[in-house]
Amino acid sequence: MTGATVASGPEPIEAPLESAAESPRRRFWRRMFRNPLAVFSMLWFVTLVVSWLAPDVLATHDPFKQDVTLQRLFETPSADHWLGTDQFGRDLYSRVIYGAGFAFRSIFIAMSIAVGVGVPIGLFSGWKGGRVDRAIMWVNDVLFSLPIVLLAMAVIIVLTPSLTNAMIGVGIAMSTRFIRLTRAVTLAEKEELYVDAARITGISTPRILTRYIVPNLLPALVIQAAIISGAIILIGATLSFLGIGANLDDPDWGVMLNRAQSVFRQEGVWQIVPAGMALVLTVLSFNLLGDAIRDALGRDAGNNALTVTKRVEVAPAQTEHAADAVLSIRDMDVEFPGQGGKISEILNGVSLDVRAGETLGVVGESGSGKSMTMLSALGLTPAPGRMTRGSVQFDGRDVTNLSEAEWAKIRGKDIGIIFQEPIAVLNPAIKVGSQIAEPLRIHMGMSKADARKRAAELLAEVRVPDPERRLDQYPHEFSGGMAQRVGIAMALACEPKLLIADEPSTALDVTVQGQILDLISEVQERHQMAVILITHDLGVIAEAADRVLVMYGGQVMETASAHDVFLSPKHPYSRALLETMPQSHDGQGELPVIAGMVPSATAWPTGCRFAPRCGFATDACTSSMPPLERVADPAQGDLVQADLIRCVRHSELGLVGGTA
Amino acid sequence: MSDTSSSRPFFSVNDLHVHFAARSRLFRETPPPVKAVNGLSLSIEPGRTFGLVGESGSGKSTVARAILQLVDIKAGTITLDGEDVTNVPSGKELAFRSRVQAVLQDPFSSLNQVHQTRTIVGDAITRHFGVKAGADRDNRVSALLDEVGMSPEFLDHYPYEMSGGQRQRISIARALAVEPDLIIADEATSALDVSIQSQVINVLKRVQAETGVAYLFIAHDLEVVKHMSDDVGVMYLGYLVEKGDAERIYDGPAHPYTEMLIASIPMPNPVVQAERRALRQTFGTQPGGGIAEPPSPSNLPKGCPFENRCPVAMDICREEMPEPTPGHHGGEVRCHLHTSGPELGGESVVHFIESQKLSSPAGSGSAV
Repeated sequence: MTGATVASGPEPIEAPLESAAESPRRRFWRRMFRNPLAVFSMLWFVTLVVSWLAPDVLATHDPFKQDVTLQRLFETPSADHWLGTDQFGRDLYSRVIYGAGFAFRSIFIAMSIAVGVGVPIGLFSGWKGGRVDRAIMWVNDVLFSLPIVLLAMAVIIVLTPSLTNAMIGVGIAMSTRFIRLTRAVTLAEKEELYVDAARITGISTPRILTRYIVPNLLPALVIQAAIISGAIILIGATLSFLGIGANLDDPDWGVMLNRAQSVFRQEGVWQIVPAGMALVLTVLSFNLLGDAIRDALGRDAGNNALTVTKRVEVAPAQTEHAADAVLSIRDMDVEFPGQGGKISEILNGVSLDVRAGETLGVVGESGSGKSMTMLSALGLTPAPGRMTRGSVQFDGRDVTNLSEAEWAKIRGKDIGIIFQEPIAVLNPAIKVGSQIAEPLRIHMGMSKADARKRAAELLAEVRVPDPERRLDQYPHEFSGGMAQRVGIAMALACEPKLLIADEPSTALDVTVQGQILDLISEVQERHQMAVILITHDLGVIAEAADRVLVMYGGQVMETASAHDVFLSPKHPYSRALLETMPQSHDGQGELPVIAGMVPSATAWPTGCRFAPRCGFATDACTSSMPPLERVADPAQGDLVQADLIRCVRHSELGLVGGTA
Repeated sequence: MSDTSSSRPFFSVNDLHVHFAARSRLFRETPPPVKAVNGLSLSIEPGRTFGLVGESGSGKSTVARAILQLVDIKAGTITLDGEDVTNVPSGKELAFRSRVQAVLQDPFSSLNQVHQTRTIVGDAITRHFGVKAGADRDNRVSALLDEVGMSPEFLDHYPYEMSGGQRQRISIARALAVEPDLIIADEATSALDVSIQSQVINVLKRVQAETGVAYLFIAHDLEVVKHMSDDVGVMYLGYLVEKGDAERIYDGPAHPYTEMLIASIPMPNPVVQAERRALRQTFGTQPGGGIAEPPSPSNLPKGCPFENRCPVAMDICREEMPEPTPGHHGGEVRCHLHTSGPELGGESVVHFIESQKLSSPAGSGSAV
């Protein structure tokens, strides 16, 4: 028992990473200020707020002061009156400025009622659920369908005509929107684990609602409020225009429009412009603000989708490819641009070979780059990342710089792929039979009937009982294990030369996992395919792989036969991984651990990337990055696949497994 | 040692049933309820760990949720320290929460993203000990962080600034904040990488050694459960099919399903794994090589639900659900093999299955 790789006993206290992730708040503002429309609407909003709180700062005249001389009525813009004058000679510019106050007062009244009534009812309804929720939502839907202006008029009829009373009506009508939104968010949030956790902690329901759910509701509320504010201004203006809102003397935009329309035939169209433009710009900016907030809060575009980067010429690799490999990668680097022009190197110098009939297991923890290696090798590097160095050879052909159109002929035909979540890969709305038949028709040019016949054969090959009937079923009628069999059938459809299985059994139960692994090796033997099996589970690798590639921090740490990696691991990381598994550890004592955590791609340690967590690290390890070397093995000739290792101390350490 | 029936157990679940009613539909027959937990009993003593294993859909998480008062219980009782806590009235809820805590599976969604560590852990302290937010409370949170191996700098970290392993430690600190007698860990290490998983397991074990807290440790990973637990229970479709001393169950399971689970664990050793493959392939395939799927929990057969996947099923298995009988590991097993047919009488089922496999080659069914 050397055991020095892994720290046993009390483990070190963890200190935070220096480069903590950008906080959502900072990201939000960074995105807001990068969006020109958002900047415009924020500026407009600030101007309106100033006009509302301190109109005299911006206004040049008293908005009520009439021109008693009657000389300067219906003027167009001039140096004195920037936006001209109205029928009483009042300064239109100042009236527009003062009008902002009316707009904001409308928003304030209506929004307080809409939010004050809507949010508590929505919270209550969503939290209670069941019959109470259905009853509330039924009433709400009825109110929702009534025109808002009509509701506002009803309130005015009952009370007295005034902008305040109209806005009370608008607020009540708008509360239905907030009830809907709040209730929907509450229904979703209350299923979240953190709400369960709060209940288990003993936090009371009102506190869960206010301290836990409302903060998560806020972003949606703000967006909704911005857009509804625009609508409120319009409704307020409409009512004033109809003469049942603000007083006829007030500098309200709706009143101004009312006055302007009565005279514009005689006095020209200009009278409409100041108030009209103020109204249009304000409503527009509220809507843009809502959109901008939503975009700024949203996730990074292209983070999930496989948006492929535009291809660039890749610097060639220095070493030669193995002639007999089905897939051969040499010295592959993949980079992602980060914030502020920083480059994250996701993969560094990755090389691998896989031969016909051979299963290569690629193992590593999350963030090790194992899935990225496969995506990049198949020309699927997700945007904005790109391959910057290396070469890829498939079936004797250089495919490093293949165009997307050329790749499309290879992927799905000569290369089959099996994914972790079989159900997620299948389209829920299309029968399974059609989904298996599709690649057959595209790549093999089969007729519909032939493709269906072949699809049934494929299902039988992957041991799905009753294949003919199963062809006409939808994906939801398949269990996880059966769906993965369908996934394998689809990958096999065009008899590929290479099968890539990315965590094919991770989402499955342990009793089904073995069956799926058996099936993969069974079809491999029958078709003499090369298989690359990507997984974090060393047990799965031990079960199915002939050779193993151990990845850490975007690099290959060790490649060797499965027997050697498990029974005499040469790299300290391989050894440490094996030792931390509960399977390797009999008895009840503390498990060996690898101290610390996987470093982030924006801050790789200098030198060996595993060195900070390695029990054998010396100064040599942290000063420069160790190369990926061939392991000298005189017993193996040159024709045999060479074992590779990235550790400066491997020969000196002579880590030979104690388990053999 | 398992508890003896003469002394009253510290924490026990007796004959627990949880059903989820399907929503009734107009003009259509109401679907039958999903029977998530059917007659489960277990007990845990202070300072000990009961491990509950089972695959997805076995009902193990529902057991946790029933104990934690998050789902309605159809029948059965739960007692803690002699007190009935089956349905805790709201007046006594806080007292109950101060004794029973939980660490949940997903380290991403079990912490509220809008709160810092000082609030996530501190809220529990405020609620149970009345300490208001401030320096005193922060000191207590720091002490708890220290207990789970984290520095006080994490006080003002948000969940999104922490890794999965760190977040799970925060969950443990939050559970410890109320000084509970029992912590229910529901797949607490399942979402973590291997190297991080072992760190969290060690934290849990160390906390238990220091505080004497009891664990109900729920997971699908048998090796992790074995490492954590003194006693183990195996669930299949809502039934506790076997329970007993952890070591002895793993060495000699008395239920064929337990043996199937153990045989399915992939061991990180290709030589060992090659030998285990044959045993694993005995299970789950029907004569002729077809794949047997577990029945739906809303439509359980009247007999044993494992019957169609069991390599040694008998006629009686299709007819009636076996009752629990004592097992050699000091616990119980629900399988007809022990009372009829070969009448194994609670002994390990391993040799019997291997002898059956040798006599009837139809079981493996991988002929091409």
